Amino acid sequence: MAAIASPNLVRLKRIANGLVTTAITLLGLVALTFFIGRVIPIDPVLSIVGEKATPEAYDKVFYELGLDKPVWEQFTSYTLKLLQGDFGTSFTTTRPVLTDLLSFFPATLELATLGLVLGVVLGIPAGVASAYWHDKWPDHLIRIIGLIGYSVPIFWLGLVGLYVFYYKLSWVAGPGQLDVFYVGVVKPITNSILIDSLLRGEWEVFWNAVSHIILPVCLIGYFSMAYLSRMTRSLMLDQLTQEYVLTARLKGASELEVVLGHALRNAAIPLVTIIALSYGGLLEGSVLIETVFGWPGIGNYIASSLFRGDINAVLGGTFLVGAIFILLNQLSDVLYATLDPRTREASK
Amino acid sequence: MKLMRTLTAALLGMTMLTGVTYAATPANTLVIADALDDIITLDPGEVGEVGGIMAAKQIYQTLIAPDVKDPTKIYGVLAESWTVSEDGKTFTFKMNPAAKFASGNPVTAHDAEFSLRRVVKMASRSAFLLTQLGLSAENVEERIKATDDATLVFEIGEPYAESFVLYALSSHSGGIVDSKLVMENEVDGDMGNAWLKQANSAGSGPYVLGTWTPKQSIMLNRNENFWQEAPAMERIFFQHVPESAAQRLLLEKGDIDIANKLGADDHASIAGNADVKTLDGSSGVIYYFGLNVRNEALSKPDFVKAMKYLVDYEGIEQTIGQGTIKTHQTFVPEGFLGAIDHNPYSLDIEKAKELIASSGVQTPVKLDAVVWNTPPYTDFAQAAQATMAQAGVELNLLVVDGQQWLERYRSADLDIWVGLWGPDYPDPHSNAKAFAVNSEDTPDGSSSLADRFGWDAGDISPRTMAALRENDNEKRRQMYEEIQLEHTDISPFLYMFQEVRRVAVRANVENLELGLTLSDDRYWKATKN
Repeated sequence: MAAIASPNLVRLKRIANGLVTTAITLLGLVALTFFIGRVIPIDPVLSIVGEKATPEAYDKVFYELGLDKPVWEQFTSYTLKLLQGDFGTSFTTTRPVLTDLLSFFPATLELATLGLVLGVVLGIPAGVASAYWHDKWPDHLIRIIGLIGYSVPIFWLGLVGLYVFYYKLSWVAGPGQLDVFYVGVVKPITNSILIDSLLRGEWEVFWNAVSHIILPVCLIGYFSMAYLSRMTRSLMLDQLTQEYVLTARLKGASELEVVLGHALRNAAIPLVTIIALSYGGLLEGSVLIETVFGWPGIGNYIASSLFRGDINAVLGGTFLVGAIFILLNQLSDVLYATLDPRTREASK
Repeated sequence: MKLMRTLTAALLGMTMLTGVTYAATPANTLVIADALDDIITLDPGEVGEVGGIMAAKQIYQTLIAPDVKDPTKIYGVLAESWTVSEDGKTFTFKMNPAAKFASGNPVTAHDAEFSLRRVVKMASRSAFLLTQLGLSAENVEERIKATDDATLVFEIGEPYAESFVLYALSSHSGGIVDSKLVMENEVDGDMGNAWLKQANSAGSGPYVLGTWTPKQSIMLNRNENFWQEAPAMERIFFQHVPESAAQRLLLEKGDIDIANKLGADDHASIAGNADVKTLDGSSGVIYYFGLNVRNEALSKPDFVKAMKYLVDYEGIEQTIGQGTIKTHQTFVPEGFLGAIDHNPYSLDIEKAKELIASSGVQTPVKLDAVVWNTPPYTDFAQAAQATMAQAGVELNLLVVDGQQWLERYRSADLDIWVGLWGPDYPDPHSNAKAFAVNSEDTPDGSSSLADRFGWDAGDISPRTMAALRENDNEKRRQMYEEIQLEHTDISPFLYMFQEVRRVAVRANVENLELGLTLSDDRYWKATKN
């Protein structure tokens, strides 16, 4: 029998495995989106030159885009460029797609991250409470709140939210990321207005940005709270009926210890994956929320590029979203290993 | 639960703290909400989208421009005066010596020569505005010439109506750029296209480009070197707000000055607000159903006519339009030369049934109608579907996104297209060419709407081209009137409505001049008090 591999070697092997899987998945993603982009009934040349262009104008762009070459050659050259970080140029923004992604994604990142934090902070305690007081009034109340968040269309909530909190009560600012007064005041560093205004010490801009972002964040937070509380509730219900909970209680553990220390700890493992995937979903950008709030996020970017047949932008955006999902999946695997001793054992 | 309560309290507290409201937009800035995600360039040599033209119009000036109040009057902007040769083929423009660019360079005939040649040579999406005058990359050096700093000689291929040529030159493609500045920034023979496309401007107009953040906003700053009366507003800020309801809230709250894209519902709901007002402008946009005569049933003239009696024009105008459209059943939009008030069709099921019977088409007939998945197209299509069904015509609505909608009509594999046509310049030919001319008659051979729907316009086509060459405005008007009467009667175009251009503005915005087409608004005259 071969000598037992050292733990370091095992870890290295696992990382290498992960990298290879990630690379293959990404390549598959690129191939899939590329070929879908080629079969959809949209003529990318006409999207650029428009309805009334002359045949010369059409041909010029046709050759510029390399559409005269065979599809496999287009794909190879696209993939090779991609490896060098070149996503091509978006014709709707006239900028490199990478520049676009770096400018639109931070807006979504802010929304999604803050929204998710809010969702986790509210949703998990709500789910735990709901399961603990199963079928009593707190459970009913939390489930009704969750049901509304989950079933009412989010753009409608957005418009109602704007009407009440912006128009009627003036608690928050309206659609857009900043008031006109503050546009262009802060020189971008990360392209996230919240972070950049903090880094530059522009407090007025920062607070204005906060007053703009707070409503969409609350809506996204509410939406993910609704989802997470339902998932937490069912996971917790599962745990609370297990024998080890009874044992713990018999041993005299306090209720807090039983619920949070034992049941929630076990429920947390599948919850991590759920949270990671729902974060991924939020990072894809919520087109509806972004449209209602005039938010320059990645969801709007991909959707409007798609409507205009801006294939490079769509491919770039899809690649980014796909990469995020893969990354989050890997991350939740790592967290799994930390949280669940069994997976640690198994890997040895 | 205590935690929840604390959190809620904290959140509420935070919103209150940050809830700083600004009751008004900056006094020196005109803030306009619009949908900006269609803009792909601001270079006047290639700009073509509504939003792009709108911004470019504030930056670049043309040789001449039509008067908004009376489009038949044309006045000089960068050109001081002009003459037309006897044969109608040579236009000679005298440049205004006072005109200068934002850079400080004087505007000369050489700049005009450069700019107009540039449009043709770049062969962009907007080049047709000049190539339809018989210009091509091969002959442009000969036909557009600056004989000295003050004189531009512009020759066209055939003698067209003077007004038509001038309208074409007054369109967005006729914007004059600072040739010196542009050529300093040329890369790989692109005539400054990359430089002008997004980040820079080189015009002589009231504003210069500040920043354009694609799909987000455009900031225009006052041209401090402007050679005419300086605009009151220091800045114009276009903000991307695609949603009508959001635009309405922003306007009512005072966070924007102008809402360009309000739907009918939102117009109705701001009617009672004294802080806002609406302006009605002209829009040449015509909504129509294009009937493809390649379809068996639609090839029968009586059946086509029956279809025209199967739309409840009045009902749609009132319930769906609510003031944003009016019934218009000819191809020249109201406000243009040759427009007539001629709406012969109204909903008449019995008459339609008779016509269908005489056409020999057996009902029920199934027809595929391609509809853009956005109002008002979907609303129009559904309303027509209901009334057409009463005469045994079943419309199968294929509701698709904008790209597919255009694709389907280009490939002509449809029965009915629910469409619109917006003129590019305020001359009747902009529409006449599309609806009434077959491609063999056009100098550049481009396919027209008549071709797309398989219709042989017969002698209407050469007559329309003759109207284009008529230099006597009164005669020209008569020719269009006659053509339209016949065209509305026999063509496979079911004209329904002309759009009423309606813009909502804050009550303190004055002197805003809406243009003749969708993207022709002149913001430099606006003031706020």
